[in-house]
Amino acid sequence: MNQLVNISIGNLFHRSLQACVHCIGLVAMLWSFHSFAADVWKPDWFTADAPLDVTVNDTFINVYNAPGRGYPIFHVIERGETITLLKMRTDWIKIKTVRGLEGWIKRSDIALTLGPDGTALDFADTTHADYLADRFELGAAFGDFDGAKSMNLNAGYRFTKNISTELRLAQNTGQYSDSQIVALALLLQPFPDWRASPYIGVASGTLKTMPSSTLVQVEDRKDQLLQASLGVYVHITGRFFLRAEYTNDYILTSRNTNEEVNEWKVGFNVFF
Amino acid sequence: MESRFQRIFLAASLASVLVFINAPTFAADEKEKKDDGELGKIITPDLERRHIKEADLDSEDFELGVYYGVLNIEDFGSNAVVGASLSYHITEDFFAQANYGTSETKKTSYELLSGGVDLLTNDQRKLNYYNISLGYNVLPGQVYIWDKWHFNTAVYLVAGAGNTHFAEKNYFTYNLGAGFKFYATDWFLVDLSMRGYSFSHELFGNSKKTGNLESRLGIAIFF
Repeated sequence: MNQLVNISIGNLFHRSLQACVHCIGLVAMLWSFHSFAADVWKPDWFTADAPLDVTVNDTFINVYNAPGRGYPIFHVIERGETITLLKMRTDWIKIKTVRGLEGWIKRSDIALTLGPDGTALDFADTTHADYLADRFELGAAFGDFDGAKSMNLNAGYRFTKNISTELRLAQNTGQYSDSQIVALALLLQPFPDWRASPYIGVASGTLKTMPSSTLVQVEDRKDQLLQASLGVYVHITGRFFLRAEYTNDYILTSRNTNEEVNEWKVGFNVFF
Repeated sequence: MESRFQRIFLAASLASVLVFINAPTFAADEKEKKDDGELGKIITPDLERRHIKEADLDSEDFELGVYYGVLNIEDFGSNAVVGASLSYHITEDFFAQANYGTSETKKTSYELLSGGVDLLTNDQRKLNYYNISLGYNVLPGQVYIWDKWHFNTAVYLVAGAGNTHFAEKNYFTYNLGAGFKFYATDWFLVDLSMRGYSFSHELFGNSKKTGNLESRLGIAIFF
């Protein structure tokens, strides 16, 4: 009897213990799920990102005190040293050493480092072809629009290596009238890998002409415009291109005859 | 006897729960231990073994600035000018810069001396300009303010074109200039710059080419 009571008390004790263990287990499970959830839905805006630590895998890397080749090298980081990448400007990367020293290294020196996973970092090659593969393009050009001085802006998007579209804005300032062009163009670049790469393009848009009010009393007018262009991209450095273009503008006027205008422009373009 | 077994089991199960709770910490410790070998010296022990891509790194190629200065418009006096500039640094050498400035011109000497003659209305005296220019950092350098204080500097040349809106008309304007950048930190700078703006107008009858000098002091940030 005494033994029976003992067993039943033992059982009771055992069961309550089990419940207790399950309870703790459940809490632990919830806790671990919570920490997992926190990892997945981490609010990136307020918490600091994990530092981008890399290890030097070459004899040494020069550290400059500003992002430019003309600034002094004031420190050298050696093989095996860990550095934190802070930010990038043009072809330079700001780093911080373990001892808290900050400086700039060349972007190309990233190839001499290894990431936390022991592999090389995924940085695009800064060659001509890579920048052509970038999707967006922004440029400015100056030129001559039938005797008027023209100021042009263009924003482009590249569908493939060869075909791109662009929005053209131009402000032409002449002696007797000013005009503005808004046009959408389609460009074909058959040899994008060439250093000087020719292209042809067609565009359609509107031309708004505003005669000089002080000289002649004529109303502003708006005409349809068709453009055919022939031009060339010349790679200068990195993502930077020179661009020269000849455009034949065909203006569909409301008068009896249509107008034809020759336009020349030279400018620079940047790929993103 | 039984209760002793129970206590042993209890201790074991509690221990296992504790291990479960602290599993990540123990695992991390083990990982560190593993890397302590020869390999660990080359590949630094790091809790997060991720792959770094270029996109993970913040890039800071844009520079936004405001400036204030004196713009001398030929025949129309020297006037305060205020403006803003946005630059995109293409390489360490080249940058593209868009500027917009506004000013109000004064009366010409003829208007002042003759008395009641007004060549332009008040609205027409307002002048604003924009331009897109290409800059080149020609002289990178440093200044030493005290034994322990040095700052980075850059001297740059800039040239471009744009339009000046003056007397209700646009004038195509070339600009040429140079400036000195003083980097207080690597993202905040003071910019002292001189620009010459050249355009032709017919306000006095015949076409006249003008050269207009702007001296300006500004601040800018990189972002």
